[in-house]
This record gives sequence, structure tokens and C-alpha cells, in this order.
Amino acid sequence: MKEKTLFPPKKYEKTIYVLRRHWMVFFGTFLFYCVLGTIPIVLYVFFLYNFSNILITVLLSNIIFPVLALGVSIYYLSIWLFFFTSFADYYLDLWTVTNDRIVSIDQQGLFARTISELDLYKIQDVTSETKGFFPSIFSYGNVYIQTAAEKERFLFKQVPNPNEIRQRVIELMEEDRKYHLSQTAISGKPNE
Amino acid sequence: MAIPLYIFLIIYFVFLAIFAIFSYFDIDHIIKFGTLNFTNLLAVTIYIGGSVLILIISWQFIGQIDWKQPIELSGIINSGMPY
Repeated sequence: MKEKTLFPPKKYEKTIYVLRRHWMVFFGTFLFYCVLGTIPIVLYVFFLYNFSNILITVLLSNIIFPVLALGVSIYYLSIWLFFFTSFADYYLDLWTVTNDRIVSIDQQGLFARTISELDLYKIQDVTSETKGFFPSIFSYGNVYIQTAAEKERFLFKQVPNPNEIRQRVIELMEEDRKYHLSQTAISGKPNE
Repeated sequence: MAIPLYIFLIIYFVFLAIFAIFSYFDIDHIIKFGTLNFTNLLAVTIYIGGSVLILIISWQFIGQIDWKQPIELSGIINSGMPY
């Protein structure tokens, strides 16, 4: 796990959740690329049964056939590349909840990544949201985490079991707050 | 006036170079920033395997074409169809 280099763990820190978006979210993308992949096959079958003379002319052509072969190859390689890039985008979006903080790694395309951290004791409000037909059936949704700061709230996008995560984050937040209060009482200054 | 057919093959190779560069970045990101586990390695293996398969199938068609033959531009303009 690269979390050691991306966000070095503290001595007392334990990982509670490593969250990714629900697999159903990526399944939609998968179906989309499957449809794109079948288009040339469907067109070939359509021309074979309806315009076979045109198809034979094209296949026997010394110029159209080579260009078509290269075009179809480029088409399938592009679909494959875009599909894998979508997978990387899905797979590299990661939220890690520890007993001390929340770390969000947001992959945006190939060349942009945002990593942000939030201390659990600074959390003010946690909201879970399940909206829509598929999210309700497969039990996934968003979890919003709000701090007192004006900064926009943390968002766990389309994660599995958002209600369970909300409850657990609230528990962790209370434990962390108690820990920080006790540390403050002992040392006289807030412990980061 | 005639242009050689292999012009299209050169364009194809340029595309393959771009494809290779972007594939490298994708694989590098998955390995560098993903969790090093079975899913990760499986995804990279499937991607490389799929790419090789597409290239092999493509070569079955591309390899049998005579790329040295010229394309007569005047013939295309006159007939409207580049046969």
C-alpha cells in the first residue's frame, strides 16, 4: 500500500476503512464500452444481410479495405485505452478512514490528483445520502462530512453502505474528540 | 498524381506510439498509487493481454495488405470511389 508514502501513518493510528466507489458505478461505464465495442460487429452484420454487394466491393477494394482495417484497429485500441483510463480513475479514487483522520485521494483523469486530510475531532456533522433506483437496491450513496471551517465539506462519493459509514465516523469522531480533550487536559495545549 | 498507401500505415504507427505512451501512464498510475494487490495486478495483466490481442488480430488483416501500392488521386477524383 502506498499510503505510507502518500500520508505517513502516526504511531497510534489504525486504519478503519479503505473506501472506493461501489462496483455498480463502474459497471455502468463497463456496459457503455461494451456497447461501443459491438457497434462495428453490428454494422458488419447489418451490411452483410442488407447490402452485401457494397460490403464485398469494400472488402475487395485495394484502398478502402486497408484504411478500414487500420480504422477498426484504431477504434478498438482507443476504446480499450479509454476503458482502462476510466478504470484507473475509478480505482484510484480512495478514501481512508483511520482512528485519527480521514484522507481523501481524488484522481481526476490521468494527470491530476488531489490529496486532502481532515482530523476527526474537527468534524461537526456527518450526513449520508442514498438517492435513486440503483443506489437504493445495491445500497450505495454519498457521505458528506462537514467541519466548522468554511472549506467545502468532504465527500465520499457513491460508497457502499453509507449509513453504516456515517455511524462509524460519528463514533470515531467522538472517541478522537475525547482523546484530544484528555491530551489537552494533561499537557495544557491541544494535541495534533 | 499518386501517393503511397503506406502513408496510412505511418499514421497508424503514430497512433500506436500515442497509445503506448498513454498506456504507460495508466499502468504507472495504477502501480504507483493503487493498492498493491491481486486486483491491481490482474487489471494490468488483462489490459496488456487485451492490447496484445487487439494488435495480433489487427495484424492478421494489416499484414496481408500490399502497402507499397500507390493511390491514384486523379482516379479517385474522376470516379468518386477510390478502388
